[in-house]
Amino acid sequence: MASRYRLGFDVGGTFTDFMLVDQETGTTFLNKCLTTPDDPSRGVMDGLLPLLDRAGVGGDDVDIAIHATTLITNALIERKGARTALLTTQGFRDVLEMGTEVRYDIYDLFLQKPELLVPRSRRYEVTERLDKDGKVLTALDEDGVRAVAQQLREDGAQALAIVFLHAFRNAAHELRAAEIIAEELPDLTVSISSAVAPEIREYERMSTTTANAYVQPITRAYIDTIQRRLREMGYPRNLYLMISSGGIAGGQTAKDFPIRMLESGPTAGVLAGIHYGRQMGIGSLVTFDMGGTTAKIALVKNYEAAKSNVFEVGRVARFKKGSGLPVKVPMVELIEIGAGGGSIAHVDQLGLLKVGPLSAGADPGPACYGRGGSLPTVTDANLVLGYYDPNFFLGGAMSLDVEAARKALETQLGGVLGLSAEQCARGIYEVVTQNMLAATKVHIAERGEDPRKFFLFAFGGAGPAHAYELARLLHMRGVIVPAGAGATSAAGLVTAAVSFDYARSLLGRLDRLPWEEVRRVFDAMAEEGLQVLEGAGVARDAPGVVVKHQMDLRHKGQGHEVTVTVPADVIADGQIDRIAEIFYATHREKYGHAHENLPLELVTCRTTVGAAAPEIPMKRLPEATETADVAQKGTRPAYFGELGRFVETPVYDRYALRPGMLLRGPAIVEERECTVVAGPSAGLRIDAFGNLFIDLDEAPIAESKEARNVETERA
Amino acid sequence: MLKQNGLDAVSLEVQWGRLISIMDEVDIALVRTSFSTIVGESRDFAVIMLDRHGRSIAQSQLSSPAFTVTLPATTKHLLKAYPPETLKPGDVLITNDPWLGSGHLPDVSIVMPVFSDGTVVAFVGAVAHVADIGGRLDFFDARDLYEEGFRIPPSKIIIGGVENDQLMRLIGANVRVPDMVIGDIKAMIGAEQLGAARLVDFFADYGGGQGFQNLADEILDRSEAAMRAAIAGMPEGEFRYGLDADGYKTPLRIEVAVSKKGDQVHVDYTGSSPQFTDASINCTTNITFADTYYPLKCSLVPNIPNNEGLFRPISISAPVGSVFNTTIPSSVKSRSKSSFHIHVAIYGALSHAIPDLVQAGSGSFWAMTLHGTNSDDGSVFNVHILPNGGKGATPRTDGLPTVAFPYNGTVTPVEIVEYQAPILVHHKRLVADSGGPGTFRGGLGQEIALEVLGQTAIVASLRPDKVRFPPPGLMGGKAGLAGSYSVNDEAVDAVPRTLQPGDVYRMRLPGGGGFGDPRARPLADVARDVDDGYVTIGDALTDYAVSFDAAGDARRSTQPTE
Repeated sequence: MASRYRLGFDVGGTFTDFMLVDQETGTTFLNKCLTTPDDPSRGVMDGLLPLLDRAGVGGDDVDIAIHATTLITNALIERKGARTALLTTQGFRDVLEMGTEVRYDIYDLFLQKPELLVPRSRRYEVTERLDKDGKVLTALDEDGVRAVAQQLREDGAQALAIVFLHAFRNAAHELRAAEIIAEELPDLTVSISSAVAPEIREYERMSTTTANAYVQPITRAYIDTIQRRLREMGYPRNLYLMISSGGIAGGQTAKDFPIRMLESGPTAGVLAGIHYGRQMGIGSLVTFDMGGTTAKIALVKNYEAAKSNVFEVGRVARFKKGSGLPVKVPMVELIEIGAGGGSIAHVDQLGLLKVGPLSAGADPGPACYGRGGSLPTVTDANLVLGYYDPNFFLGGAMSLDVEAARKALETQLGGVLGLSAEQCARGIYEVVTQNMLAATKVHIAERGEDPRKFFLFAFGGAGPAHAYELARLLHMRGVIVPAGAGATSAAGLVTAAVSFDYARSLLGRLDRLPWEEVRRVFDAMAEEGLQVLEGAGVARDAPGVVVKHQMDLRHKGQGHEVTVTVPADVIADGQIDRIAEIFYATHREKYGHAHENLPLELVTCRTTVGAAAPEIPMKRLPEATETADVAQKGTRPAYFGELGRFVETPVYDRYALRPGMLLRGPAIVEERECTVVAGPSAGLRIDAFGNLFIDLDEAPIAESKEARNVETERA
Repeated sequence: MLKQNGLDAVSLEVQWGRLISIMDEVDIALVRTSFSTIVGESRDFAVIMLDRHGRSIAQSQLSSPAFTVTLPATTKHLLKAYPPETLKPGDVLITNDPWLGSGHLPDVSIVMPVFSDGTVVAFVGAVAHVADIGGRLDFFDARDLYEEGFRIPPSKIIIGGVENDQLMRLIGANVRVPDMVIGDIKAMIGAEQLGAARLVDFFADYGGGQGFQNLADEILDRSEAAMRAAIAGMPEGEFRYGLDADGYKTPLRIEVAVSKKGDQVHVDYTGSSPQFTDASINCTTNITFADTYYPLKCSLVPNIPNNEGLFRPISISAPVGSVFNTTIPSSVKSRSKSSFHIHVAIYGALSHAIPDLVQAGSGSFWAMTLHGTNSDDGSVFNVHILPNGGKGATPRTDGLPTVAFPYNGTVTPVEIVEYQAPILVHHKRLVADSGGPGTFRGGLGQEIALEVLGQTAIVASLRPDKVRFPPPGLMGGKAGLAGSYSVNDEAVDAVPRTLQPGDVYRMRLPGGGGFGDPRARPLADVARDVDDGYVTIGDALTDYAVSFDAAGDARRSTQPTE
């Protein structure tokens, strides 16, 4: 194979991560450099050229380049998108502002909603009306659209969202309006709801389409720039982008639906978990990505990530459900907890120790960074507890100031609480763990799953330092810290496959729907998907091409739907009874019961079309011929809650650990981007690919309680 | 601060967090197993953990606020009937008595004791609004409790682990949808069993029943201290406010006297209307207390998770036989028509004491139901729409447009309404000039117009409010625009009515009240409001004394305009 390398690069908030993998041998090359927010493509080139150099590879040797970026999310959060206008059916332009009419915080008198992407003065209406079945009640007033175009011109709008009622049943009016606008204003980018989010519920569709329009101009320019830079570097093929639902799509698809790229970096991290899981034969994982400001949790079952069809971007009340802009796109479901290395500890109104959700971020960062931060953070606590080596943070690229950390703990917390720096540090560790524990537990319970069946797949700068404790308290099967935990998202990119998700609402009682219409909707989505695959060079009959159909169904009278997967032949033959069986079984599994006497209602049809995942071998490492002692760098005192005290803990060099080596907890394993902390009831081993496993014995609970009591008395 | 009862800031935070997380799991279990959409989707329920005295300690984070206040009172009533020392493992208590419970029959309370070493050390309780409890359908007109459905006095629904089959059958025989109601009751019990099991694990980790009680005492004491400290910061005195509300057939008078003495608040309702005999809008004291406590919590300690310690410094009184202390067997089903106005009166009174922490009157929600038969296939539809008016302004924020307060719920989307019923919605839009003028403007209300399609008439039941008496402003802010409604542009009365095909039903929900003198509203804000069409040029002049010159620049008249 001439071009046998796959390249993934993930532009995150602080760092840009790269991975280059040889598809034949599995040999990987990693790089990491600072993100350059003013022009992210510069950072990409800064990191990419040395990486290719190191691998001895030219641009043309790269078979596929896959990119994830925070650009879209950031543009929405920072309100740095285009000057956007909205055109709606006459009488409904205020729907964008009225929303669901619910309050996300029931006790906050002063609560504010997210700032609107389109102010009322740029929201236009035009006469037209469809009924619930998409039949035209009132024709589109084309002159009215032209008049709006004139106003858009005068107003200097750069992007337009068109959202008409019931357009998910009939796109004709939206398409025609877009056509007229294009004639009048060829440079304006236009998003129409029947293409962006053709699903029922006008507010969510309007919010999604508006957000898409808002980021479209900058995304177009951005993708063109990255593509050009790659060309200049000798890569002649198309750039691919990671999308929120876990597939990759070509540049044009990404430009049409930029909103589908939300959270693409974190999604790639979940895919990496699945990829590693496959190599190890472990299909049930909870991925745990803890960085500077947040921890992200996702559930993987049978090598598939749990998905959801709605997401909120830019929550104004941090992490509070309902305080962001709703975006209705298929997403790998990630829950975000305000718990990261930079999370700030403080004492609340009741005199309790709280951690987060405010974060010191990277600048000024934790007190121990010595960049002017004076507030105690999780990283400061971890340093004082002995988990981090002050001289080996980021592999020694940065040194940490233990005294600054202690001082922050003492002055900000210790004084008020009457605790020593160490006690405050232990408290922070315990509280941040409890926060993550509660959120993870609840998320797993909502999915009707049992944490004891899952492994915790830990990565991100702070993940491996907290994974042992989290998994232990959840009684999980164990912890996996993948090889190269610092560039896990990039690993997810290189292993991703071309895939796209479609949705169309089509409402009706299952037994009364004209079935040829149901079939037509599914066939149209499948065809669209197969054409996208072909555009990406994957033949529709290539091995591994999958077309998966799903239906959002509910008992008639229910307000919310359950998504079930339905075999293509069942849809083709209109086997309604079979669909009902599938629904009842899923409903029973999820909620413990089903009302088999109630008729079923179809709400939305969904189709995923995807190519086979690339088969990339993982490189096996030579078996160890010596014991783990050779990898030990030394020891240092570290605190373990289970023991209730500091103990002299062996510290190992991750890069010197070899397959077959066994370690006993407590142990600390250091690598450049993260530190693995394993407590006294851990057994550690290295698998054939260099992944680190932490096995958990039953925790010595009685001992820990005694230890705690002793400590409390001493306090 | 460090060691009361031996619990430090960290242990208390971690253990309290775990209790809340246990209740969040109970909440999910209930949602997952409930049968009705009211529990499963509308979330009209609460799940609560109580100590052995029936005092609330923790609840799920999404628990409905009023229930978190009523259930501890209900539990204490249940314990009067069944003292803790008489309870055995496997006993589960139930009641829906409005005077002991949450103020009307559909709210069923179920409480399960949790044992440690053979004695009761805690309770896990739930209140949920079940799908039906019998009684007349036109419940606004109920004349007494007996017309409102089935009453369950304090009873055991499970006795020593065995289901009380007779009671179950009695309940089933008295409700319209027995499967759903019995299903929800069983789901509540099942969810509580999970909570009890989790609590037993907690006892094992943290010092058994006594460890739990120490923790409970600490939570209650710290919370109480925080509430008392917040109250102590208020000026001393008695603060009064009076308010008229639409009521049902005749208006309702609300009089409050909020007395702040030291670190306590007492609210007295003397002077409020006597209880009604022609409208089911009467409140039992449990619900009066819950709706009195809610605005105080929002103002004083919004971030502390609810527990009984926060209630302790607050007390109420209302004359026996008045609308806020109604006597058995008054009709109470539509109590929220009265209780939802309580916060307006309290904030009116508190505006004299803590003007920085109050809110002007809100437009609130109108519950609308459309009922009929589809002419094409003969199927029956029953569509609920819960649109909201504007929220009241506060001392630092304009009121949000069209948002629920104090109730919290989601409006039904237009596309769903049109799918479910032969209805065409002509428009759903904000009403210009409906927000009460003020330094901070009240939130805008909305207008919805809908036309009946098809060939058959439908029954529309609308429960308008704040039509006669609009949401008041505070501190010089003006009232929001009152609500109104019409059929084919003609005024009609409020009772449920038949709409013929082609009829257009138009409802205009009220705007929120304004806060502070409108003439102190910054020019730029008035200009932006005019630019966005929230305020018309005419009202900018009359309400805000702001005019615009030919170039469009705003300026304020020095002379007050009238």
